[in-house]
Amino acid sequence: MTLHLDDDELVSCVACGLCLPHCPTYRVTGEESASPRGRIAAMRAVQWSGAPLEGDFTRFMDLCVQCRACEAVCPSSVPFGHLMEGARETLASDTRYQPGWRRAGYRVLGRHRLLLTASTALAVGQRLRLVPRRFGLPRLALRRRPLVATGNDVWLFTGCVMDAWMRETHAAVMRVLAAAGAGVALPGPGAACCGALHEHAGLVEDAQRLARRVIGAFPGEAPVLVDSAGCGAALKGYGRLLGTPDAAEFSRRVMDVHEWLAARVDALPVPARRFPQLVAVQDPCHLRHVQKAHAHVRTVLGRYADLVELDDEGLCCGAGGAYAALHPDMAADIRARKVAAIARTGAVVVASANPGCAMHLAVAGLDVRHPLEIVDEVIRDGR
Amino acid sequence: MPDALVADLRAALAPERVLAEPLELTLYARDAGIIEGHAHVVCFPLTTGEVQACVRIARAHGRPFTPRGSGTGLAGGAVPVEDPVVIVTTKMDRILEVDEEDRVAWVEPGVLNLDLTHSVAHLGLHYAPDPSSQQSCTVGGNVATNSGGPHCLLYGVTSAHVLAIEVVLADGSVALLGGVDAEPAGYDLRGAFVGSEGTMGIATRIAVRLTPTPPAVRTLLLDFLSVEGAAATVTGIIAAGIVPAALEMMDAEITRAVEDFVHAGFPRDAAAVLLVEVDGLPAGVEAAAQVVADVGRVHGARSTRVAADEAERALLWKGRKSAFGAIARIAPNYYLHDAVVPRTRLVEVLSRVYEIAARHRLVMMNVFHAGDGNLHPLIVFDRRENGVMERVTAAGEEIITACVEAGGVLSGEHGIGLEKRDYMPLIFGEADLDAQARLRHAFDPDGVANPTKVLPAGSRCGDLQRVPEGAWI
Ligand SMILES: Cc1cc2nc3c(=O)[nH]c(=O)nc-3n(C[C@H](O)[C@H](O)[C@H](O)COP(=O)(O)OP(=O)(O)OC[C@H]3O[C@@H](n4cnc5c(N)ncnc54)[C@H](O)[C@@H]3O)c2cc1C
Ligand code: SF4
Ligand code: SF4
Repeated sequence: MTLHLDDDELVSCVACGLCLPHCPTYRVTGEESASPRGRIAAMRAVQWSGAPLEGDFTRFMDLCVQCRACEAVCPSSVPFGHLMEGARETLASDTRYQPGWRRAGYRVLGRHRLLLTASTALAVGQRLRLVPRRFGLPRLALRRRPLVATGNDVWLFTGCVMDAWMRETHAAVMRVLAAAGAGVALPGPGAACCGALHEHAGLVEDAQRLARRVIGAFPGEAPVLVDSAGCGAALKGYGRLLGTPDAAEFSRRVMDVHEWLAARVDALPVPARRFPQLVAVQDPCHLRHVQKAHAHVRTVLGRYADLVELDDEGLCCGAGGAYAALHPDMAADIRARKVAAIARTGAVVVASANPGCAMHLAVAGLDVRHPLEIVDEVIRDGR
Repeated sequence: MPDALVADLRAALAPERVLAEPLELTLYARDAGIIEGHAHVVCFPLTTGEVQACVRIARAHGRPFTPRGSGTGLAGGAVPVEDPVVIVTTKMDRILEVDEEDRVAWVEPGVLNLDLTHSVAHLGLHYAPDPSSQQSCTVGGNVATNSGGPHCLLYGVTSAHVLAIEVVLADGSVALLGGVDAEPAGYDLRGAFVGSEGTMGIATRIAVRLTPTPPAVRTLLLDFLSVEGAAATVTGIIAAGIVPAALEMMDAEITRAVEDFVHAGFPRDAAAVLLVEVDGLPAGVEAAAQVVADVGRVHGARSTRVAADEAERALLWKGRKSAFGAIARIAPNYYLHDAVVPRTRLVEVLSRVYEIAARHRLVMMNVFHAGDGNLHPLIVFDRRENGVMERVTAAGEEIITACVEAGGVLSGEHGIGLEKRDYMPLIFGEADLDAQARLRHAFDPDGVANPTKVLPAGSRCGDLQRVPEGAWI
């Protein structure tokens, strides 16, 4: 039995344990099997000592949120995200790790028309009180106003769930970009889904297929801006996922929208008055640990609002793409720590640059907004 | 198919807090060192009562037990030997009480060292012992290994900060050692327990002293073109009458590895750097920092950088504290010693250590608490290379012998555990070992608490062995 992982990557963990407190599942359980070090040891047991894939090993891998905090803090630079994706790829191909119903669920994300129709059905269901609150969905719109392109200085990646459920956020982001003087181009239907969830689930071929479609939807040289941290991290990883020069070139054009704005913050209007409430900044893992672009949120948002930092060193909130739906109990336990950290700041409004985190935290009753929604509100109030 | 021992533990705790599946046990085979053992079963008690139950059930089934915190130990102390019941404290992680006025905190053993400091920071207090692993290691593990850390030069090691310990003894009974009053009556059994590495029982509640955070602090990074210059500066600073809060040295290789991780601006071409911190009242700190810089200049410091703010200071310390982890950038395994040598012989010992490594064709790096002469010579290697373990073992033994010959001791802070156990006869005579074995016997007459650790086999009958038997499983 092998996991088909790179031995040099697997051997690079020295078991120092410095990653332990940064791992959300270890924080909740205190157990090695739910820690980065333990997961690596389990991978070694399979790859080097023939431990079985099914059973405990699958369970340990599946409980990982893939937040990659461990990777950011590891002094040995163990490429944990890559190891975990590799392990899940083997699980998905060699075991029943991703049963048919889950695969079907992921595939809907790439079929945008179907997703929009399903989302409208869900919205109707919510009005009829047929959708339980614990599903953690935001209140979905019955009608989505279409977005209208304003130019071609930059592209805006629209994505799947984000576009279906939170199109108003895209609209706000476009208004802020316009205020900074940038005309925004919108992609065609090819940019329907970034494939991050597929990649995390080990469905690598699906992810690669989606990646090729996305790349095709953004011709030219203009920067590709992303307002969802998880999608942005995925797009920036296409070079590695596809391993082609074209993909690498595309990934170089990708920027988180705050990253792009931070370099042009002086072009943004000076606020007539600042946002009236203190804002706690929650860093999405894929912005902080993967893209390392979290400082830019502060540069942009700090121009319009008074910010307060959390004291949890960027510990994950438990949303993790599809994680909160697949592991609701663990996700809620992880979230409880985040909610406590937010409470310690005394702020009532929370800014999060990732829709998944925003939805997950909103279920706990918090007022969570995209940073650029706050910026947009201040700019519009000042007019 | 769970055996009777596992079934009894599950009945006493809760099924999900007792692990016995093969893959689960594999994950508890080692700590942050390189020796591997095998656990019979792993359990996670939540209370003192549950710890007692674990110990009693283990005994009833004729099994020893091994306490474990975060498993960041470097000497194999938490490695399960003789198929023990591993008792993990990580779920006992509550801070029970903080007495701001008396500056005392009662904590459960699984509280992480840095979490404790963070939780009292708003009171202007901190927990002073700061091992480089402080973000991850438990207070219980610190007590059991009598941990030190960079700032222990001024503030003292763990034993100076532990007032009282509630202990589950090897027979399952509970005892309170020490007390929060100034001079508890009787023998200082608390002092005996600190550093006992799980061989005298399990700490279940700990009262620690909290230290006021100094109002001013200056952190300096001095950069040298020779190890000798750096070492002479260390002695010079102390000779000038200054006891810095911390005085750390990193050699060329480790400085590069660390810089590649933190990007803090450590000079990649230096032969050695010193990280020095002085703290106290603002005026005194200014003066002391000046003396440090002057002494450095006299001994050839190429540059002296003073951290401008807390962020820069934090980054420099992050570099120092990630050193052991960062070495995997060079090779995936490390083996380190923890000897303490007289400060005045640092230079001489260091050059011998480099010479030994070179002779065995091994990569050697040094990062250490220079202020108290606590060396951490690290051999980095790739275990997959044929025959490398023999060379590592041989070099390790020569290094420790060199340190002892220079008047040093085996362990400054990491403990003896399994790894350094068989070197004990290098510094202790038969009578000393026998006395230690008797003390241990008084706590644990049947030898069930973390067996085979610390004292070499035969410590009580003079039958000493030097070969680290079974040390490279
Ligand atoms: C990167 C790195 C840097 C380090 N830097 C330092 C340093 O600067 N200074 C230093 O001193 N150490 C250092 N260490 C070593 C280690 O972190 C310390 O020894 C630490 O105190 C171990 O704590 P732990 O919770 O991980 O204990 P473990 O490794 O789990 O256990 C250590 C020993 O304590 C026993 N034990 C654990 N909990 C209890 C308990 N509640 N009751 C009784 N016995 C118990 C175990 O049986 C074992 O013998 C470092 C380690 C690493 C990996
Ligand atoms: S993943 Fe990195 S930080 Fe974690 S134990 Fe391994 S080497 Fe240390
Ligand atoms: S990716 Fe996140 S959840 Fe997974 S092991 Fe690393 S820190 Fe833990």
